[in-house]
Amino acid sequence: MAPKIFGIESLAEISLDSGARLTLRDGPLQLGWKHSGMTSDFIAEIMALPYSRSRKDYLQAHHDIGYLSNELIENAVKFRQPGEILIEAGIIDGSFLLRVKNAVDSATASRFQQLLHRLQSKEPGVLLLEQIEINAISPESGSGLGLLTLLSDYDARMAWTFENNDEHIALTTTAAVAMPPSSNR
Amino acid sequence: MEISDENFRVWAEKNEVYFDGVFRLAGPDAYAPIYSLITGLLHEGHKQVTFDLTGLEFLNSSGINLLAKLTIEARKMGDLLLIVKGTHQHPWQAKSLPNLKKLHPLLELRLA
Repeated sequence: MAPKIFGIESLAEISLDSGARLTLRDGPLQLGWKHSGMTSDFIAEIMALPYSRSRKDYLQAHHDIGYLSNELIENAVKFRQPGEILIEAGIIDGSFLLRVKNAVDSATASRFQQLLHRLQSKEPGVLLLEQIEINAISPESGSGLGLLTLLSDYDARMAWTFENNDEHIALTTTAAVAMPPSSNR
Repeated sequence: MEISDENFRVWAEKNEVYFDGVFRLAGPDAYAPIYSLITGLLHEGHKQVTFDLTGLEFLNSSGINLLAKLTIEARKMGDLLLIVKGTHQHPWQAKSLPNLKKLHPLLELRLA
Protein backbone atom coordinates (compact mmCIF):
# COMPACT_ATOMS: atom_id res chain seq x y z
CA MET A 1 0.00 0.00 0.00
CA ALA A 2 1.28 3.49 -0.82
CA PRO A 3 2.48 5.49 2.20
CA LYS A 4 0.12 8.12 3.56
CA ILE A 5 1.75 11.52 3.96
CA PHE A 6 0.48 14.41 6.10
CA GLY A 7 1.97 17.90 6.34
CA ILE A 8 4.64 19.20 3.97
CA GLU A 9 5.29 16.37 1.47
CA SER A 10 8.53 17.82 0.09
CA LEU A 11 10.00 17.72 3.60
CA ALA A 12 9.34 13.97 3.85
CA GLU A 13 11.39 13.44 0.68
CA ILE A 14 14.53 15.38 1.65
CA SER A 15 17.56 13.09 2.00
CA LEU A 16 19.42 13.21 5.30
CA ASP A 17 22.13 10.80 4.15
CA SER A 18 24.83 13.42 4.78
CA GLY A 19 23.65 14.02 8.37
CA ALA A 20 24.08 12.17 11.63
CA ARG A 21 22.33 8.86 12.25
CA LEU A 22 21.54 7.27 15.60
CA THR A 23 19.59 4.19 16.65
CA LEU A 24 17.91 3.84 20.04
CA ARG A 25 17.45 0.18 20.99
CA ASP A 26 14.30 -1.04 22.64
CA GLY A 27 14.12 -1.03 26.44
CA PRO A 28 12.00 -0.08 29.47
CA LEU A 29 10.13 3.20 29.23
CA GLN A 30 12.01 4.79 32.11
CA LEU A 31 15.34 4.11 30.46
CA GLY A 32 13.98 5.18 27.07
CA TRP A 33 12.92 8.46 28.65
CA LYS A 34 16.41 9.06 30.01
CA HIS A 35 17.91 8.21 26.61
CA SER A 36 15.50 10.60 24.95
CA GLY A 37 16.87 13.51 27.01
CA MET A 38 20.50 12.44 26.58
CA THR A 39 20.09 11.98 22.83
CA SER A 40 18.43 15.34 22.26
CA ASP A 41 21.13 17.07 24.38
CA PHE A 42 23.80 15.30 22.31
CA ILE A 43 22.21 16.32 18.99
CA ALA A 44 21.91 19.93 20.21
CA GLU A 45 25.57 19.95 21.33
CA ILE A 46 26.96 18.78 17.99
CA MET A 47 24.52 20.50 15.63
CA ALA A 48 24.70 23.96 17.26
CA LEU A 49 28.49 24.19 16.94
CA PRO A 50 28.43 26.04 13.58
CA TYR A 51 26.72 28.94 15.40
CA SER A 52 29.22 29.33 18.23
CA ARG A 53 30.69 32.60 16.90
CA SER A 54 27.76 34.54 18.37
CA ARG A 55 26.60 33.67 21.90
CA LYS A 56 23.02 34.72 21.12
CA ASP A 57 22.84 32.67 17.90
CA TYR A 58 24.42 29.70 19.62
CA LEU A 59 21.92 29.76 22.51
CA GLN A 60 19.05 30.06 20.04
CA ALA A 61 20.29 27.24 17.78
CA HIS A 62 21.16 24.99 20.73
CA HIS A 63 17.78 25.49 22.36
CA ASP A 64 15.66 25.12 19.21
CA ILE A 65 17.49 21.94 18.16
CA GLY A 66 17.23 20.56 21.70
CA TYR A 67 13.52 21.30 22.08
CA LEU A 68 12.56 19.90 18.68
CA SER A 69 14.67 16.77 19.14
CA ASN A 70 13.39 16.19 22.66
CA GLU A 71 9.72 16.43 21.65
CA LEU A 72 10.04 14.11 18.65
CA ILE A 73 12.11 11.51 20.47
CA GLU A 74 9.87 11.66 23.59
CA ASN A 75 6.86 10.95 21.34
CA ALA A 76 8.65 8.05 19.66
CA VAL A 77 9.61 6.56 23.04
CA LYS A 78 6.13 7.05 24.48
CA PHE A 79 4.08 5.72 21.57
CA ARG A 80 6.34 3.14 19.92
CA GLN A 81 5.68 -0.54 19.50
CA PRO A 82 8.64 -2.66 20.66
CA GLY A 83 11.58 -2.01 18.35
CA GLU A 84 14.27 0.45 17.42
CA ILE A 85 13.92 4.17 16.97
CA LEU A 86 15.92 5.53 14.04
CA ILE A 87 17.02 9.16 14.24
CA GLU A 88 18.58 11.25 11.47
CA ALA A 89 19.64 14.85 11.90
CA GLY A 90 21.31 17.45 9.74
CA ILE A 91 21.51 21.12 8.79
CA ILE A 92 20.30 21.79 5.26
CA ASP A 93 19.82 25.20 3.62
CA GLY A 94 19.83 27.12 6.89
CA SER A 95 17.42 24.79 8.68
CA PHE A 96 17.91 22.04 11.22
CA LEU A 97 16.13 18.85 10.12
CA LEU A 98 15.28 15.90 12.29
CA ARG A 99 13.71 12.65 11.13
CA VAL A 100 12.51 10.01 13.60
CA LYS A 101 11.22 6.61 12.54
CA ASN A 102 9.48 4.10 14.82
CA ALA A 103 6.72 1.50 14.76
CA VAL A 104 3.25 2.26 16.14
CA ASP A 105 0.10 0.15 16.45
CA SER A 106 -2.98 0.83 14.32
CA ALA A 107 -4.98 2.44 17.16
CA THR A 108 -2.18 4.95 17.82
CA ALA A 109 -1.85 5.63 14.08
CA SER A 110 -5.54 6.38 13.63
CA ARG A 111 -5.71 8.62 16.73
CA PHE A 112 -2.71 10.50 15.46
CA GLN A 113 -4.14 10.87 11.95
CA GLN A 114 -7.30 12.40 13.45
CA LEU A 115 -5.12 14.96 15.22
CA LEU A 116 -3.29 15.71 11.95
CA HIS A 117 -6.65 16.28 10.22
CA ARG A 118 -7.56 18.76 12.97
CA LEU A 119 -4.25 20.53 12.39
CA GLN A 120 -5.29 21.28 8.82
CA SER A 121 -8.48 23.01 9.94
CA LYS A 122 -7.12 25.64 12.35
CA GLU A 123 -4.11 27.76 13.20
CA PRO A 124 -1.70 25.86 15.49
CA GLY A 125 -1.69 28.79 17.94
CA VAL A 126 -5.48 28.56 18.33
CA LEU A 127 -5.35 24.77 18.68
CA LEU A 128 -2.60 25.09 21.29
CA LEU A 129 -4.74 27.31 23.53
CA GLU A 130 -7.74 25.01 23.00
CA GLN A 131 -5.69 21.96 23.97
CA ILE A 132 -4.36 23.72 27.10
CA GLU A 133 -7.94 24.48 28.22
CA ILE A 134 -8.96 20.84 27.56
CA ASN A 135 -5.98 19.55 29.57
CA ALA A 136 -6.86 21.82 32.49
CA ILE A 137 -10.25 20.15 32.97
CA SER A 138 -9.26 16.56 32.13
CA PRO A 139 -6.16 15.78 34.18
CA GLU A 140 -5.97 12.16 33.03
CA SER A 141 -5.17 13.06 29.42
CA GLY A 142 -1.61 13.43 28.18
CA SER A 143 -0.36 16.93 27.48
CA GLY A 144 -0.60 16.65 23.67
CA LEU A 145 1.21 19.97 23.39
CA GLY A 146 4.47 18.84 21.80
CA LEU A 147 3.55 19.16 18.14
CA LEU A 148 1.37 22.20 18.77
CA THR A 149 4.16 24.15 20.51
CA LEU A 150 6.59 23.22 17.74
CA LEU A 151 4.21 24.46 15.03
CA SER A 152 2.97 27.50 16.98
CA ASP A 153 5.94 28.74 19.01
CA TYR A 154 8.88 27.47 16.88
CA ASP A 155 7.41 27.88 13.37
CA ALA A 156 8.43 24.28 12.69
CA ARG A 157 7.61 22.74 9.31
CA MET A 158 6.59 19.12 9.63
CA ALA A 159 5.68 15.98 7.68
CA TRP A 160 4.38 12.58 8.82
CA THR A 161 4.53 9.39 6.74
CA PHE A 162 2.56 6.26 7.66
CA GLU A 163 3.53 2.97 5.99
CA ASN A 164 1.63 -0.26 6.63
CA ASN A 165 3.83 -3.29 7.22
CA ASP A 166 2.69 -6.81 8.04
CA GLU A 167 2.35 -6.40 11.79
CA HIS A 168 2.56 -2.71 12.52
CA ILE A 169 2.72 0.76 11.00
CA ALA A 170 6.00 2.53 10.41
CA LEU A 171 5.68 6.21 11.34
CA THR A 172 8.30 8.64 10.06
CA THR A 173 8.20 12.19 11.43
CA THR A 174 10.30 14.91 9.79
CA ALA A 175 10.57 18.39 11.27
CA ALA A 176 12.56 21.49 10.32
CA VAL A 177 13.25 24.75 12.14
CA ALA A 178 15.09 27.77 10.74
CA MET A 179 18.54 28.37 12.22
CA PRO A 180 20.05 31.82 12.87
CA PRO A 181 21.43 33.39 9.67
CA SER A 182 25.06 33.61 10.78
CA SER A 183 27.17 30.50 11.08
CA ASN A 184 30.94 29.87 11.18
CA ARG A 185 30.84 28.11 7.86
CA MET B 1 8.38 23.45 50.59
CA GLU B 2 10.65 22.00 47.96
CA ILE B 3 10.53 19.34 45.25
CA SER B 4 13.68 18.33 43.41
CA ASP B 5 15.58 15.61 41.57
CA GLU B 6 19.04 15.54 39.99
CA ASN B 7 17.90 17.88 37.18
CA PHE B 8 15.59 20.46 38.77
CA ARG B 9 14.47 22.16 41.96
CA VAL B 10 11.17 23.91 42.71
CA TRP B 11 10.65 25.73 45.98
CA ALA B 12 8.46 28.41 47.52
CA GLU B 13 9.39 31.33 49.75
CA LYS B 14 6.35 33.20 51.08
CA ASN B 15 4.38 34.09 47.94
CA GLU B 16 7.14 33.46 45.42
CA VAL B 17 7.83 30.16 43.63
CA TYR B 18 11.26 29.50 42.14
CA PHE B 19 11.88 27.06 39.27
CA ASP B 20 15.43 25.94 38.61
CA GLY B 21 17.15 23.59 36.15
CA VAL B 22 15.70 21.31 33.49
CA PHE B 23 12.08 20.02 33.52
CA ARG B 24 11.88 16.87 31.43
CA LEU B 25 9.38 14.70 33.32
CA ALA B 26 7.31 12.08 31.53
CA GLY B 27 3.83 13.62 31.64
CA PRO B 28 1.07 15.17 33.77
CA ASP B 29 1.28 12.39 36.39
CA ALA B 30 4.97 13.01 36.93
CA TYR B 31 4.35 16.76 37.28
CA ALA B 32 1.40 16.24 39.69
CA PRO B 33 3.37 16.77 42.96
CA ILE B 34 4.70 20.11 41.67
CA TYR B 35 1.21 21.09 40.54
CA SER B 36 -0.17 20.29 44.01
CA LEU B 37 2.57 22.21 45.81
CA ILE B 38 1.97 25.38 43.81
CA THR B 39 -1.83 25.11 43.71
CA GLY B 40 -1.69 24.94 47.51
CA LEU B 41 0.24 28.21 47.59
CA LEU B 42 -2.20 29.89 45.17
CA HIS B 43 -5.01 29.12 47.64
CA GLU B 44 -3.24 30.52 50.72
CA GLY B 45 -4.93 33.90 50.32
CA HIS B 46 -2.03 36.01 49.01
CA LYS B 47 -2.88 39.15 47.03
CA GLN B 48 -0.17 38.31 44.53
CA VAL B 49 1.97 35.30 43.69
CA THR B 50 5.17 35.34 41.64
CA PHE B 51 6.58 32.50 39.53
CA ASP B 52 10.29 33.12 39.07
CA LEU B 53 11.31 31.12 35.99
CA THR B 54 14.64 32.84 35.41
CA GLY B 55 16.52 29.70 36.49
CA LEU B 56 14.44 27.32 34.35
CA GLU B 57 16.77 26.53 31.46
CA PHE B 58 14.64 24.02 29.61
CA LEU B 59 11.27 22.32 29.83
CA ASN B 60 9.40 19.82 27.69
CA SER B 61 5.85 20.29 26.45
CA SER B 62 4.46 18.54 29.53
CA GLY B 63 6.26 21.18 31.57
CA ILE B 64 4.60 23.89 29.46
CA ASN B 65 1.32 22.15 30.22
CA LEU B 66 2.08 22.42 33.95
CA LEU B 67 2.67 26.19 33.75
CA ALA B 68 -0.51 26.61 31.66
CA LYS B 69 -2.60 24.65 34.17
CA LEU B 70 -1.24 26.73 37.05
CA THR B 71 -2.06 29.91 35.12
CA ILE B 72 -5.64 28.69 34.63
CA GLU B 73 -5.86 27.89 38.35
CA ALA B 74 -4.75 31.46 39.14
CA ARG B 75 -7.24 32.82 36.59
CA LYS B 76 -10.08 31.15 38.49
CA MET B 77 -9.18 33.24 41.56
CA GLY B 78 -10.29 36.58 40.24
CA ASP B 79 -8.49 38.85 42.76
CA LEU B 80 -5.10 37.15 42.70
CA LEU B 81 -2.34 38.88 40.73
CA LEU B 82 0.01 36.39 39.08
CA ILE B 83 3.44 37.73 38.14
CA VAL B 84 5.64 35.60 35.86
CA LYS B 85 9.32 36.52 35.75
CA GLY B 86 11.34 35.24 32.79
CA THR B 87 14.56 35.87 30.93
CA HIS B 88 15.71 36.12 27.32
CA GLN B 89 18.74 34.03 28.35
CA HIS B 90 16.65 30.88 27.91
CA PRO B 91 15.12 31.06 24.41
CA TRP B 92 11.99 29.00 25.19
CA GLN B 93 10.73 31.71 27.50
CA ALA B 94 10.24 34.43 24.87
CA LYS B 95 8.61 31.85 22.58
CA SER B 96 6.18 30.15 24.93
CA LEU B 97 5.53 32.43 27.94
CA PRO B 98 3.37 34.90 25.95
CA ASN B 99 0.85 32.02 25.61
CA LEU B 100 0.24 32.30 29.38
CA LYS B 101 -0.75 35.94 28.91
CA LYS B 102 -3.25 34.82 26.23
CA LEU B 103 -4.76 32.39 28.75
CA HIS B 104 -4.96 35.00 31.51
CA PRO B 105 -4.86 38.63 30.34
CA LEU B 106 -4.40 39.95 33.92
CA LEU B 107 -1.17 37.96 34.32
CA GLU B 108 1.87 40.22 34.48
CA LEU B 109 4.68 38.88 32.32
CA ARG B 110 8.14 40.33 33.06
CA LEU B 111 10.69 39.17 30.50
CA ALA B 112 14.10 40.71 31.22
